[in-house]
Amino acid sequence: MSAIFPKWTNILPTVVAIAVVGGLSSVVAGFWYWATPEFWEVGYMPKQPGGGFNHQIHAGKLGMDCRYCHTNVEKSPEANIPVVASCYGCHADQRLAVLNNSQTHRAKTNFIREAYATDASIEWTRVHKLPDYVRNFPHHAHVNAGVSCYSCHGRIDTMPVVYQAQSLSMGWCLECHRAPEDVLVPQDKVTQLQWVQDHLEERSKRSSPELMQGQMLVDALTGAPPQNCGACHY
Amino acid sequence: MSNHDQCPSTLKGEKKRPGKAELAAVARSAGTVNGMNVWRSPEEMTDAPQFRDWLEREFPAGASELERRDTGESRRDFLKIMGASIALAGAATIPGCRRPEHKILPYSREVPEEIIPGKPLFYATSFPRPDGGAEGLLIETHEGRPTKIEGNPIHPTNRGRCTTWALASILGLYDPERPKDPIYNNPVKGKVTASWADFRTWASTHFGKYSENGGEGLAFLVSKQAGIARDAARDAIKRQWPNARWVPYRGFDNESAAAGLAMAFGRPVREVFNFGKDTTRVVVSLDRDFLSHEPGEVINARGFSASRQVITTSDPMSRLYVIETGFGVTGAQADHRLRLSPSRVTAFAVGLAKFILPKLGDANGATLAAAIDAVGGDDAGIDRGFLEECAKDLLLPENRGKSVICVGQSQPAAVHALAAAMNAALGNIGNSVFYTDLPADEAVSSRDGIRQLAADMDAGRVTTLVVAGVNPVFDAPADVNFLEAYGKVAATICLNANLTETAAISTWSLPGAHYLESWGDARSVDGTLSPVQPMIAPLYAGAMSEIELLAAIRQFAQPESRVDGFELVLDAWRAGVASGAIPGSSNFDKFWRRALHDGFVAGTTIAPSAGRTGVRFDEVARAAASLAISAAPSADKLDLVFRIGHIGDGGMANYPWLQELPEAGTRTVWDNPILLSPKTAKALGVTPEGYSDKKPEGVYTDPTYPTARMAEIRVGERLVKGPVWILPGMADDTAILTVGYGRRNGGVVCDGVGFDVYPLLTSDMAAASAAGATLAKAAGTYMIASTQNHWTMDNRESIVRAVDLAVWKKYGDEIVPGGPSLYQEPEMLKLGERLGELAHTPPNDSIYKNPYNKSIREAEPESVFAKGPQWAMTIDQQVCTGCGACTIACQSENNIPVVGKIETAKGREMTWIRVDRYFTGDDINEPAAMLHQPVACVHCENAPCETVCPVNATVHGPEGLNYMTYNRCIGTRYCANNCPYKVRRYNFFDYGVTKFNGPYYGKDIIEAVTPARGGITGSSTHNEVNPNLIPPRLRAKLEEITRMRKNPDVTVRSRGVMEKCSYCVQRINAAKIETKLSKLDHIPDGYFESACQQACPSNAITFGDMLDPSSKVTAMRDHARSYLLLGYLNTRPRTSHMVRVMNPNPALLNLTAAGKARVESWAHPFHGGGHGGHEGDAHDRTGGGHAFRIDNTKKAQDKGYAMSLTVLGGGSMA
Repeated sequence: MSAIFPKWTNILPTVVAIAVVGGLSSVVAGFWYWATPEFWEVGYMPKQPGGGFNHQIHAGKLGMDCRYCHTNVEKSPEANIPVVASCYGCHADQRLAVLNNSQTHRAKTNFIREAYATDASIEWTRVHKLPDYVRNFPHHAHVNAGVSCYSCHGRIDTMPVVYQAQSLSMGWCLECHRAPEDVLVPQDKVTQLQWVQDHLEERSKRSSPELMQGQMLVDALTGAPPQNCGACHY
Repeated sequence: MSNHDQCPSTLKGEKKRPGKAELAAVARSAGTVNGMNVWRSPEEMTDAPQFRDWLEREFPAGASELERRDTGESRRDFLKIMGASIALAGAATIPGCRRPEHKILPYSREVPEEIIPGKPLFYATSFPRPDGGAEGLLIETHEGRPTKIEGNPIHPTNRGRCTTWALASILGLYDPERPKDPIYNNPVKGKVTASWADFRTWASTHFGKYSENGGEGLAFLVSKQAGIARDAARDAIKRQWPNARWVPYRGFDNESAAAGLAMAFGRPVREVFNFGKDTTRVVVSLDRDFLSHEPGEVINARGFSASRQVITTSDPMSRLYVIETGFGVTGAQADHRLRLSPSRVTAFAVGLAKFILPKLGDANGATLAAAIDAVGGDDAGIDRGFLEECAKDLLLPENRGKSVICVGQSQPAAVHALAAAMNAALGNIGNSVFYTDLPADEAVSSRDGIRQLAADMDAGRVTTLVVAGVNPVFDAPADVNFLEAYGKVAATICLNANLTETAAISTWSLPGAHYLESWGDARSVDGTLSPVQPMIAPLYAGAMSEIELLAAIRQFAQPESRVDGFELVLDAWRAGVASGAIPGSSNFDKFWRRALHDGFVAGTTIAPSAGRTGVRFDEVARAAASLAISAAPSADKLDLVFRIGHIGDGGMANYPWLQELPEAGTRTVWDNPILLSPKTAKALGVTPEGYSDKKPEGVYTDPTYPTARMAEIRVGERLVKGPVWILPGMADDTAILTVGYGRRNGGVVCDGVGFDVYPLLTSDMAAASAAGATLAKAAGTYMIASTQNHWTMDNRESIVRAVDLAVWKKYGDEIVPGGPSLYQEPEMLKLGERLGELAHTPPNDSIYKNPYNKSIREAEPESVFAKGPQWAMTIDQQVCTGCGACTIACQSENNIPVVGKIETAKGREMTWIRVDRYFTGDDINEPAAMLHQPVACVHCENAPCETVCPVNATVHGPEGLNYMTYNRCIGTRYCANNCPYKVRRYNFFDYGVTKFNGPYYGKDIIEAVTPARGGITGSSTHNEVNPNLIPPRLRAKLEEITRMRKNPDVTVRSRGVMEKCSYCVQRINAAKIETKLSKLDHIPDGYFESACQQACPSNAITFGDMLDPSSKVTAMRDHARSYLLLGYLNTRPRTSHMVRVMNPNPALLNLTAAGKARVESWAHPFHGGGHGGHEGDAHDRTGGGHAFRIDNTKKAQDKGYAMSLTVLGGGSMA
C-alpha cells in the first residue's frame, strides 16, 4: 500500500508549528518594537527656519539659561517659544559685531532681522507634541516641583538641531509619576542639564546618597504626583 | 396617601402580593410631592407604553439605531448612499502615517503686555442687552481670543453671575455667516461685494447734499440703547442735521409698561425690584415673568432667591402669587398660581385694586378706588377666594412695604399704572420696588416711532435711511408695512453684526462690530454705568460699531470729526465728567482706568431709596377708569399672548445654544409651536396626533417624533400658520405665541426654524396680547422635538422633593433614625432624606465593600477619600428657577456641541447638565405646580458606570471625581446603560466638528435616492430623510472660525466617545497648580467655581471640598433639606439636591378640599402616613406588617441571626 503522503511530510507539523510560533512572536516583537512611540517619536527632528535654533551653541557653549528665552516656563503651562524680539535682542545689526560681521552668520540669521523689521512671526515647527486629549502639559507645575528640563527633553544643550529625546508616551510619563524620587532635583538646578544628567546617573545606581536627596525632595512636595486619569485627560 | 409605597408595613397586615400593573406603576413613578403625583409629560401621566421606552433604555430606541422605523428608509437606501459616499471619498487620500507638522508662531516685535501664552486673561466689559439694560461681564481670553463669558464678580448688577443671553452672545462674534465686507446693491448689476473705501466714496457724495437742508429726508433707525457715547452720537447728529429723523427702535418692546409707568409718574421710568430677605414678603405677579428674559433678570433672580432661601427653620420666606397665562420660569416658582387669559388678568388686577385700595386708609388710594369702582367687566373665571386671600396677604401689617405687585407685557398700560399706584399705596416704593429714570432713547415708543417713520417713507419724505443694529424688515409691526415702505427709500444703509433680513434688501449692507469688538458704554437697570471695551480687534477689518458708523456718516459732511470708537467714548465720558453727569474724579485718566478695570463706575448705582416717588393717583385713576375689560375668551374668540423665548425677539436666533435650550414649560427645542391648554386643544381638534388624556390607553404618538397638527391663527385679516402643542397649566381658550422664530435671512442656524408670528403683531395693540382670535385646524402635520421625556429616571418614589413651609418649620430640625438596616445601625436622617425611600427601606447594601467609604457621609479613616480635597456639589431646588444659565455655561466651558432638532428628538442632545421639569397633580389641565431639577453627573462614590466599562475609560479619582477618559473610550455605552441618573452623553456622530443644521455634501445624491423626500427642516414632510443616514464625513464641517470659541483647556470629543459632567476638572486642576505655586497647602473654599455654579443667577449651585468643615458645600450637604438623588441605590452621589420649600397661604388652601387635605398632611408629611418618621422607628414594632419583632441586640451579637433576617423578613413581607 503506497503512502498517500510522501515521507517528507512527516516534518510538516513541526515546520508549521515553528512557523506559527515564530511568525506570531515576530509579529508581537515587531509590534513591540516598531509600533510604539519609542520607535516613531524618538529622534523626530523636523526642519526649522534658518536651519534651526542651535541649542548646542546658545545653551551649551554660551551657557545661556533655558529661561532666558523660555521666559514663562515657571509661570505658564506652556514653555513659550521666545518672541522674535528676544532673538533680536542679540542679533540686531548693531550688536555682536564680531558675529554679525561674518557674512555666513549674517546670512544664516537674516530671517530674524527680517521678521523683526516687518513684525512678522517665525514659523517654528513643533517638536514635542502631546496628543490633544492630553491637556496642556503644565510646565510650571513640573519645573517648580523640581523636574529638570533634562528629564523630558534630554540634553538639549548638546543638540545643534532639536530632536525629540524621549517617547512622551503615557507609560513613560507614569515612570516618573510612580517614582518621582528618581528624577526630582533641587529647583535651582532644573536648567543645569549636565549637572542633572550626572546627578541622576549617579542616583540610578540606587545606593548613592543622591537617592536620599530625591526622596527628600518628594517629601517636600505638597502632594505626590498624580497617577489618576483625570490629572491629564479631560 | 400614595399607591407607590413599597414599604410592606403599610399594607395593613394583609399579605397582598402587588399585581404586575402595580409594580409597573411603582417602578415608573417620579414620586409624590405634597401628596400629589409628579409627572413630566402627558405620556408619563397616562403611563403610555412609548414612555417606557424612554424610561427603560439608556438611550431610546431611535437614538441607537441608524434607521428610522416609521418612514422605512431601507438598508438598501443606506447602501446606495454609502456607495455614493465611498465614490466621493475616493479622491481623498488616506491620512498618512507621517506625523502632521504643527507650527508654533511666537509674537514678534510688538509683544502684547501681560499676555503669557497658555494662561487666560480676564477683562471686564458689559453686554448691552437687546431688551434694554446691561450686564457686567468678565471675559476669558486666550492669547487675545475671547472664549468664555462670565459675570463680573464686582459689578453691582451681576455680582459674578450672568444670564443665558450674555453667555450665548459670544456666538455672535464667531458666527461664520457674519457679514465680512460691505455689500452694495447695485440697481443694475445686483449685489456686489464692495470695500469700505467704496462705501466712503459713495457716502461722501451722498451725504454731502444734506448739508444745505439740515438733513431733511435723512432718517436714522437705531437700536434702543442708551449710553453716554450713544447719546453723544445722537446729539451730534441732531446738531449737524436738525431736520433728520432719529428713531430708536426695538422689535418686541415692552411698550405698555413704559407707557403705564409714564402715566403714573409723569415721566418715563423703569421698574426695578429690590427683592431680598428683608425687603420682600409677598410678591404678586400679574403675568410678569420677572425671572427670565427681562433687563433686570439677574438682579431679580438673585434677590428673589435670597427672599426664598430658608437655611434655618426660623428663616422667613417670601410668598409668590402668580396669575399668568401659561407656565413661565416665574410661574414655576409660584406658591399659588392662577391660570388666566390676559383679559382675565386685567380683570383680576382691577379686582385686586378694588379690594385693597379702600382698606389702606390712604386718601389717594381711596380716591383711586372710587374711580375704578365703575370699571365694569365681568369677573368670570376669576377665583374670588384666591383674589381675596391674596389681597388680605398684601394687607397684613407685617407685609406692608414688603410686597411687590408687578405686571407683565400682556397687560395694557393702565394696569401697569394701577400696579404702581398699589405699590405706592402699600408703601412698597423705595423698599421692595423702586423706579429709575429711563434714558431718553429708551423712553421713546418704538411702535409710534416706526409707524411715523414708515408713513414718512411711504410718502417719499425719507430719501436716505440709516438702519443700525436693528432688523425692522423682520420684526416691525405688521400694519406699518415696513417692507413696502423700505423699498420706496432711495438709499438705505444697514449696519448689523450678524445677518438680517433688513441688510439683505438694503442699498448698502455694512458689517457691524460685535460688542466684544467695540468701544461703548451701557447702563444697567439699576443705573450702573459700565464701559464696553473690545476684547479683540474686529475679526473682519473695517467693521464698525453703531456709534462709529454714526460718527463716520457725520464725517462725510464734516471731515475733522472723530470716527474712532475709543476716542468717541473717551470724549463723551470726558464731557460727562466735566458736566457732572458721571461721578468722576478730577484725574480723568485714573478714573477711566479704574472704570475699565472694574467694569463699572462706582457710585452710579441707584439706591432703592433714591428712586422716583410721587405716583400721580389722579392720572392713574383717569387711566384706570377708562379701562375696558374684554369678555372672557371662548373657543371661537381666543385670547393671544405674545412672548419671547430663549432667542429673544429674533436677534439671537442664529445662536445654536439658545435654539437647543429647552423652553421652560414645554421643553421644546428649535421651534415655537402655538401653545394651547390640553382642554382647548381638544375642543378645537388640534391635539398632537394620538393624544389622549385617559388612562390607560393614553398615547401621544411616538414620543421620539411627536407629530403636532398644523393650525391657522387668525386675528381679523391677519393670519399665521403653525403647529400646535399643548402646555399643561395654561389658561383655557388662550394661545401663546413666541416671537423671533421663522427667520428668513438670519443664517443657516435659524432660517426656516419655527414660524414667524410677527405678522399678527400690530402697532395699535395695547399690549403684547390680543383678543378675538380664531384658531382652525389646517392641513398637514409637523414634527416637534421636546426633551420632556428624555433622560427619565427610574425610581421608586421621590426624585424631586418638595415640602411646605409649615413642614419645614416643624420637622426641619428633627433627626430620626432611618429604615432598618441589617448590617449596621440605622442611619440618622434629616428632613430631606425622610421624604424618600431611606425613611422606611434599608439602603441597598453591596457585598463588595468599597475600601474608601464607610458610610454615605463618612470616609473610611486613612482611605483616599479621607484625604485632600473631596469635591462635592449641592443643587438647591428651592432657589433654582430653571432658567438654563447652567446648561449654557457648561456648554461654553466644556465645548459641548449642538446636535440639531432631529438628533435632539432622538434623545441625542449633549448637554451635560439638564434641567428636568416636573408637574404635580392629577389634572393635566391644572397641574398644581411646576418643579425644576437640574441634574448632571452626580459623581457617585459607588459609581455603577465604572464597574461595567470594559476598558476602564471611566474610573474613580482620589478626589471623588468620576473621570471620563475620552481616548480610552471605545463606545460600548455600557456605562450609560448602567447609569441610573442618565447623565451620560454619547457622540453618535462627530457633533463637535460637523454642522448640525446646515447643508451636507452630496445632498443631490441623497435626494436622487429618496425623491420627494427633500428638506431637512421646514416642509410639511418635515425631516423625512434621516440626515444621519448621511455618513458624517459628507456633512459639512463647521467653519474654522467657530474653533476660536472653543475652550483650549478641554478636549473636543470625537465620534464614538462617551462624555458627561466632569465637575469642571480643568478648573480643579488649574486651581490645584495655582495654589501649589503660591505655596498654599490646600485650595481655599471659593478659590474657583464650576462653570454652572458661576453662572447661576440665583446661587442655587454650591461646589467645593466636603472634607473642609468650614466650606459652604459641607454646610449645604449636611443641611436638613439636602438629600441624595436615588440615594437608596447606594451609589453615594457627591452631588446632593436640596428639597424645595413652598410657602402656601393656609387661608387660601383651606378654601378647597384639596387644599385642606394638604394642610392636614402637614401633620404627617412623610411617606406612608408618617411611619418611620418622627414617631421613631416603626419598623421595630410588632403589628406593623411584620410577623415578628427584630431583636436588635441579638442582631448585633449573632451574625447568623442577622443574615437569616433577610430570609425571615422576606418571608413575612411577601
